[in-house]
Amino acid sequence: MTSISSLIRVLLPKVQVLKEDEAREEIQRNHSSCRAKDVTRPAKLPVNFFSTRSPVIDLFRGQLDYADHLRQDSEIVLYFFYAPWCGQSIAAREEIEHVASRLSDQVLFVAVNCWWNQGKCRKQKHFFYFPVIHFYHRSFGPIEYKGPMSAVYIEKFVRRVMTPLLYISSRSKLLDFLSNYEPGVLGYFEFNASPQPPGYLTFFTSALHSLKKDYLGTIRFGVITDKHVAEEISLVHSGSVYLHRHVNTSLIYPNDIMNYTAENICKWALENREMLIRWLRPHGGKSLLLNNELKKGPALLIFIPYNPLAEIHPLLDEITKVALEYHSCNKSQAAEPVLQHLGDVDSPAFDSPVPDVHTELSETFSITKYPCCNTVVLPQWHSISRTHNVCELCINQTFGVKPNKVNVPHCNFLEIEAALDSFYLQEHTFFQVISNTIECSNFLSFYSPFSYYTACCRTVNRHFLSFISSEKTIFQTPKVAFSSHGKKDKDDTQNSIPHIEDRNCFIPDLHDNGTNITGLSCRTNKTLNLYLLDSNLFWIYAERLGASRSTHLKEFAAIVDLKEEVHYVLDQNQSLTGSTLENFIKNFSILYSPLKRHLVDDPSVHFHAQRIITEVTTNTFHDTVFSNEKNVLLLYYAQWCGFCASLNHIFIQLARLLPPDNFTVARIDITRNDLPWEFMTDRLPTILFFPHQRKEQSVKFPEDFPVNLPNLLKFILHYSSLSSSDHCTKECLHKETVLQQGHISHLEREIQKLRSEISALHQAHDKLEEQLSKARREEQRLQQQKHTLEKQHKTLQLHSEQLQSTYDQKNQELLAMAEKLQELADASENLLKENTLLRILVASKEGKLQLKDKAKEPVQSEQTLSDDNDVSVSTAATTLGEKRIDNIDTIETEHSSENRTG
Amino acid sequence: HSFSLTLIDALDTLLILGNVSEFQRVVNVLQEGVDFDIDVNASVFETNIRVVGGLLSAHLLSKKAGVEVEVGWPCSGPLLRMAEEAARKLLPAFQTPTGMPYGTVNLLHGVNPGETPVTCTAGIGTFIVEFATLSHLTGDPVFEDVARKALKALWKNRSDIGLVGNHIDVITAKWVAQDAGIGAGVDSYFEYLVKGAILLQDKELMSMFLEYNKAIKNYTKFDDWYLWVQMYKGTVSMPVFQSLEAYWPGLQSLIGDVDNAMRTFLNYYTVWKQFGGLPEFYNIPQGYTVEKREGYPLRPELIESAMYLYRATRDPTLLELGRDAVESIEKISKVDCGFATIKDLRDHRLDNRMESFFLAETVKYLYLLFDPDNFIHNDGSVFDVVVTPYGECILNAGGYIFNTEAHPIDPAALHCCRKQKEEQWEVEDLMREFYSLKRNKKFTLKRASDHGEGESVQDSVDASSENGREKRNSKKNAHSLLSCPSQSFNSKLAVLGQVFLDNT
Repeated sequence: MTSISSLIRVLLPKVQVLKEDEAREEIQRNHSSCRAKDVTRPAKLPVNFFSTRSPVIDLFRGQLDYADHLRQDSEIVLYFFYAPWCGQSIAAREEIEHVASRLSDQVLFVAVNCWWNQGKCRKQKHFFYFPVIHFYHRSFGPIEYKGPMSAVYIEKFVRRVMTPLLYISSRSKLLDFLSNYEPGVLGYFEFNASPQPPGYLTFFTSALHSLKKDYLGTIRFGVITDKHVAEEISLVHSGSVYLHRHVNTSLIYPNDIMNYTAENICKWALENREMLIRWLRPHGGKSLLLNNELKKGPALLIFIPYNPLAEIHPLLDEITKVALEYHSCNKSQAAEPVLQHLGDVDSPAFDSPVPDVHTELSETFSITKYPCCNTVVLPQWHSISRTHNVCELCINQTFGVKPNKVNVPHCNFLEIEAALDSFYLQEHTFFQVISNTIECSNFLSFYSPFSYYTACCRTVNRHFLSFISSEKTIFQTPKVAFSSHGKKDKDDTQNSIPHIEDRNCFIPDLHDNGTNITGLSCRTNKTLNLYLLDSNLFWIYAERLGASRSTHLKEFAAIVDLKEEVHYVLDQNQSLTGSTLENFIKNFSILYSPLKRHLVDDPSVHFHAQRIITEVTTNTFHDTVFSNEKNVLLLYYAQWCGFCASLNHIFIQLARLLPPDNFTVARIDITRNDLPWEFMTDRLPTILFFPHQRKEQSVKFPEDFPVNLPNLLKFILHYSSLSSSDHCTKECLHKETVLQQGHISHLEREIQKLRSEISALHQAHDKLEEQLSKARREEQRLQQQKHTLEKQHKTLQLHSEQLQSTYDQKNQELLAMAEKLQELADASENLLKENTLLRILVASKEGKLQLKDKAKEPVQSEQTLSDDNDVSVSTAATTLGEKRIDNIDTIETEHSSENRTG
Repeated sequence: HSFSLTLIDALDTLLILGNVSEFQRVVNVLQEGVDFDIDVNASVFETNIRVVGGLLSAHLLSKKAGVEVEVGWPCSGPLLRMAEEAARKLLPAFQTPTGMPYGTVNLLHGVNPGETPVTCTAGIGTFIVEFATLSHLTGDPVFEDVARKALKALWKNRSDIGLVGNHIDVITAKWVAQDAGIGAGVDSYFEYLVKGAILLQDKELMSMFLEYNKAIKNYTKFDDWYLWVQMYKGTVSMPVFQSLEAYWPGLQSLIGDVDNAMRTFLNYYTVWKQFGGLPEFYNIPQGYTVEKREGYPLRPELIESAMYLYRATRDPTLLELGRDAVESIEKISKVDCGFATIKDLRDHRLDNRMESFFLAETVKYLYLLFDPDNFIHNDGSVFDVVVTPYGECILNAGGYIFNTEAHPIDPAALHCCRKQKEEQWEVEDLMREFYSLKRNKKFTLKRASDHGEGESVQDSVDASSENGREKRNSKKNAHSLLSCPSQSFNSKLAVLGQVFLDNT
């Protein structure tokens, strides 16, 4: 693969050659011969792009200098560089206006037309696309925004630019900060001595810098000023920078190895951050993002509607918790001191009542940052384990907020109790377990784990619909709703073990020991990468994977395995919650996975009984092809494939010919409808024939023969066996009659066709007759015209003869005149000659006269004088000639000047 | 003349946009006022794609447009006769030793004495769609024969590495311009190999294209761009993208190479985003226009590709291009009485002209991109039954093949006239067999009979050697040449700009 940059080096010199080549580069369609005049018109002058009432300052003449000047007025400035013709800019305009209306008091919004070629902006900047959004935080910038062009995302980014650092003032804020799924960087700075502690500004800048690099803003930066808070994460020295990680050890910025610069801190954080679950936000241009991510291995894509501005994201929290669980497997790893210390304090409380099985797990929790979660899982008991998972989460959320926080004593108490109870109750009824855990979730009702738990109960009940509708009420009065559900379905639950993914059959294979979600990613050889997608922006991918179009709740999860070319879908009858996800992951990971390859089908196809060709989809495939007494001819096609579409008429003809009682002509659009592997095809069109008695022995129309009506008929005739008439029973006779009736109706149709053909021929014949008679009349008319023309021709000929004779006569006269003129000319020439001779004579006479006057002079000179005379005579002749030429010249110039003016 | 040219060119656009009454009116105007017996030098290529192509498509669509057609339609009709007349005016150009046509012909006197023998490649290989249609409808094989002969001559003269140049001498068969690429001067030659193969179910044409396609990928493709190379050596001669090349992704999608098509399309789309149009030439390494080639005459090619690709992928990115095109054309080029050519994309200066392909192609493809229910997109679920003196025909069942000037040809119409009778009798015999109770006969499928019946001995020798090559090829890859690969698994996620590597 040659990259563009290497191309540049190789090809730049050749561009020069191009200009010469242009001459022969005749563009075929350039037929510019009849162009009137080379008139061009400059582009229209730019006008306002934003309305004048908008809070956005619109520099539609591209006044970049003024835009720069404006920067002094505001701490935060957003520049929106647009081109007025650009659809993307036009679409983004509204979003920007929306953000501006909310933030215009704190942020200056400046739009600059960077297209108009007279404007400063166009002259100085060179953009390859529009719009471009740049931010300035005071003098820092530009920070380019590359996220989605949607108001909420832009606003979120603006807010991040406004406050790149979060102020972590207390332990509770610290814990909030640390529990977030997004990676976080913390700096500890003592603000007691100088106005700004050393390094603070660098840290601040690195926060801004990260926005430049990581435009999705997934690394959060926080600053701690309080010594005690800092100690919680074992930061002692002012100026330390700390990168928080959930599964791996958190890191402290190595001042001794790397220079303490904004770029380095940012780079360090980006390189070392933990990505347990990643947002995928394709930017819309050509990109290998999905290719690169999905090539890493099987991926779980989770689609949820996401509002970046929302304060809380319950569902997201739930999902990240699952992700954390899934990834927390570094049991032997030492965590950073503070948290470990905190964990140590707590864990004995758990450990003591929990017997052997759980000591190991509790170790896990104490080491990782979510000790509670890992402790109480009971893998052998699928349904119970779910309730246990719930307990973990409670602990998880409130863990470490030990001192003087309202929640803490409750949580500690409850988590112990829950853990104890669940352990104690694991061999008891489900009901009791549920009732116990209800309290737990009730307590933590403002946390997401709550709904997580709800889902568990639901699967036991298998009342999906009632569940969904009752979810809200559960949220409000969880206790009641839960216990009632639990009670009602007590009996059910005992024999139906909740296995969420499989909607058809019930597979009790989760007894398997290894299906604990905690740390599963390290134990399984089918490790999943987890990804989030905002379904407000990227729902199309979900639809592509088979998300039902009917749901208005845009939640969806699918596991995509690019290598195996399969994907699995979380049952869409269930809501997307932590526990359903967990089960989904578990089911994928176990050895004999109960998950079934999802087959996407085309929901837009509706079954038409009257259609001459039956349109088959994934869902109707089996019924149409197999559960059918008829012979089936099935065409695999795709709408885009040129070779398929041009065969349409042949299949229509075929379907019209074949008796519909015995034959079905069907087709399936294979791009929109997946089929089981054994029915897949790799070329289109493919034609399969399923004979009605041996459906399993389908035959393929040979590829190297042309697809036409006779060939198709022969193919069908060859493979469709009629029941042999050797042992003819009643049934057989009946069949025969049916067949013959079919034949008769076919023949009747044929006769009909022939009749219409005959009538068409008759019509054509009539038309021809008509035209013929018309032509004959025309011929006659022409004949007559010919006659008259001939007559005219004759008279014309006579006339021309006459003319010829007069012409000859005149010609002769002219010749005579010419002769006379010639004579005259000759005469005048003679006269002229005589005249010159006379002149010479006169001159010589004069000369002689002069000679006589000078008779006194010596005789020797006489000879020379006569010579002189000769010379002067000849000069006179030449001057005469020259004069004439001059005359002609002037005439000529006059003539040509006339020409020019004319 | 030029007046009626734009009329003919824009005629089927009227119908696709749903303006039936105007279509009917124009058909009447044309029948009265068009005369091809005029002393005019015309481009053979242009006359074919615009006049012959436009008239053929209007002829085939006229019934749909509510024009009262004569008995025998679609095998006869005034517009068909006009198309035939126009095509006959072009035939003298094909009277050369090589069979490759001259570029220009005088409609009244034939080829002018002293006419240059240099013709561009596209001017030689862009006839098969119209001429084969004409032959099938009228029953006169001469048109298809000359078109095939010209195609074969080009094929014979390709370079050792399998490329064709830009211009060739039709007398001596020497390449005059040796730049090989997919754009100006060559473009529709490749297009017609594919479309001819589809329209005529012709393996030979397709195998030619596939061979070219291999060479093009090997020598001219870099990072999903297609450059210009020297046709004998394969060295890069111009690292430019020409706006005419933007038809390529659409063509690829027709034969099922959708992934590559989309990747190239996305490259081209970035150029559009930079300028609000596609410059005639775009220097790829420099990322800017090329001097004197900065214009954008509102060409259709990128939109055409978007339409084809949208059929295949339903990717919203393609609609986004459509939106951008509408915005650009409205904001930049709209003037009082039309849409002006953009003279220079750097400053959006306008020229005092509107090309005829703007109405014939650009508007049509844009409309079709946004109108998935248009009859042109018919997937075969509806059709017309027409009774002709030659038998019953199924027409308008979709699968329209656009000629290079965006005039749609119904492939079913080619199976409607003259030749069909034999097939009908065969079908009748088979149906009798069908209803008989005992089946004794063995049924052997028939291979395609060789098309050109009137070909000379020399040609048939050529053809047989080509067939030999084809056979060897078909042994290598077992599948039929006239088929598309089904789309790979990852194509499900290949939308919104996402592309995937090595799908093999």
